[in-house]
Amino acid sequence: MTMHAPAPDAAKEPGRLAITISGLVKHYGSHRALNGIDLEVRRGERIVICGPSGSGKSTLIRCINALERHDGGSIVVNGIELTADEGTVQDIRQEVGMVFQHFNLFPHLTAIENCMLAPQLNRGLTKARAEKLAMHYLERVHLADHARKYPSRLSGGQQQRVAIARALCMEPRILLFDEPTSALDPEMVNEVLGVMEELAASGVTMLCVTHEMGFARRVADRCVFMDHGEIVESRDAASFFQAPESQRLRDFLAQILR
Amino acid sequence: MNGLPIDLALAWESLPALFDGLKVTAILTALPLLLGLALAFPICFARMSDRRWLALLAEAFVTFFRGAPLLILLYLVYYGLGQIEALREGPFWILFGSPFGCAIVALSLNHAAYMVEVLRGGLLAVPHGIVEASEALGITRRNIFIWVKMPLAIRYGLKAYQNEVVSFIKGTAIVSVVTITDLTAVANSIFEQTYDPFTPILCAAAFYWAFVNIIRLGFGLWGRWLNRHNAEDVAADAGVPGRGAALRRTSDLGQVTP
Repeated sequence: MTMHAPAPDAAKEPGRLAITISGLVKHYGSHRALNGIDLEVRRGERIVICGPSGSGKSTLIRCINALERHDGGSIVVNGIELTADEGTVQDIRQEVGMVFQHFNLFPHLTAIENCMLAPQLNRGLTKARAEKLAMHYLERVHLADHARKYPSRLSGGQQQRVAIARALCMEPRILLFDEPTSALDPEMVNEVLGVMEELAASGVTMLCVTHEMGFARRVADRCVFMDHGEIVESRDAASFFQAPESQRLRDFLAQILR
Repeated sequence: MNGLPIDLALAWESLPALFDGLKVTAILTALPLLLGLALAFPICFARMSDRRWLALLAEAFVTFFRGAPLLILLYLVYYGLGQIEALREGPFWILFGSPFGCAIVALSLNHAAYMVEVLRGGLLAVPHGIVEASEALGITRRNIFIWVKMPLAIRYGLKAYQNEVVSFIKGTAIVSVVTITDLTAVANSIFEQTYDPFTPILCAAAFYWAFVNIIRLGFGLWGRWLNRHNAEDVAADAGVPGRGAALRRTSDLGQVTP
């Protein structure tokens, strides 16, 4: 059964909603990866999504920017309903930035060129302006000194921070993180989480799939627990950890917080 | 006989004629390389298309022109097409009426068939995650192809391309059977006039060797420049890694880190 905390005032002020997901269904062949997801995300809200592997959490955020096409239900991002139409998909992708588990930087471009590409191609920025913009965001992730390096010369943590800067350069209003620290060596996790916490403080809407429960406690307004393609529990971070309602979440937390 | 298999005086005398032959060989290399490559792109797209009939058509082209020996292909174009009356009286007879035109057509078709597979291999090697990251940034499919997929595919496919070009150059020698006086034909005619098999043939071999190795050297430099992002000591603090710095590197040839 799906239980989710009502987003306060959301119904009264639809303009304050960044993302509205209702009845979302996604199949891979006969496997039902998402089984009727309902989720409302307010502007500026920071949501952490967790759950066991295969629970559909990555699929859910990948549906939001149409990296996966959903089979049923609806997704509305900043008032735009996501359809199969290429133009609509492009519009939504301009509003939504994404950071991946494996960074996925362009290996043939330097850190700053990685950040400049999309603004130059999508927004027609001149090289000089794109460079200024890229430098601004590289500074924000504390990598200005490494701007001219190629990804192969950077550590995992640095690469992930470049990836965050690259997403920020499109100045999206919503940021999706798909297990951003899972591929990192332990000593590099904190530098990435640190940048993400700074971002969270800036007011950008964040949806973050992660198992970093410390981060969830410090940053998340709301924690969502998924299992078998459904949202099992969705509530504010404090009660999520202190008073989980469902047995499944209690089991999950017991395992992960061991 | 002076003990050497080569008659130095004859070799010296033959140089101008061999140079003329080399020029023909160079033209018969350059034109089909350009035409074949231009042809390979649309056929490669068709081969990778989701439309099954289109992919099958392209596959049939590749199978036929890669499977047919170049010599047979040349005979078919040179002798076979001349049997078609409509063609003899049509505007294309300017092309198919000359041995040179026929050679260009046969060589281009052969090269295109091989290049379809080289291109396809390079494009398939581009990591999916990098393409997804580009999509998530809202970059259009066309721009992803031009700025992300192709630059990487060139890097992945460069070695295979170099092999194809080198074996192609040597393959052009068969055009002498349709009365074109390329490098091999010139050497052969000197042999027939002097009954000295060694001097002209070995000189021609030296010309081919030099030609092929200049091309190889060019590929080597190109590859090193393309893969400057992998060069070990690209000094990031020296600003944008210069072409010169990358070219001085002797290792890391042809490697691409995805």
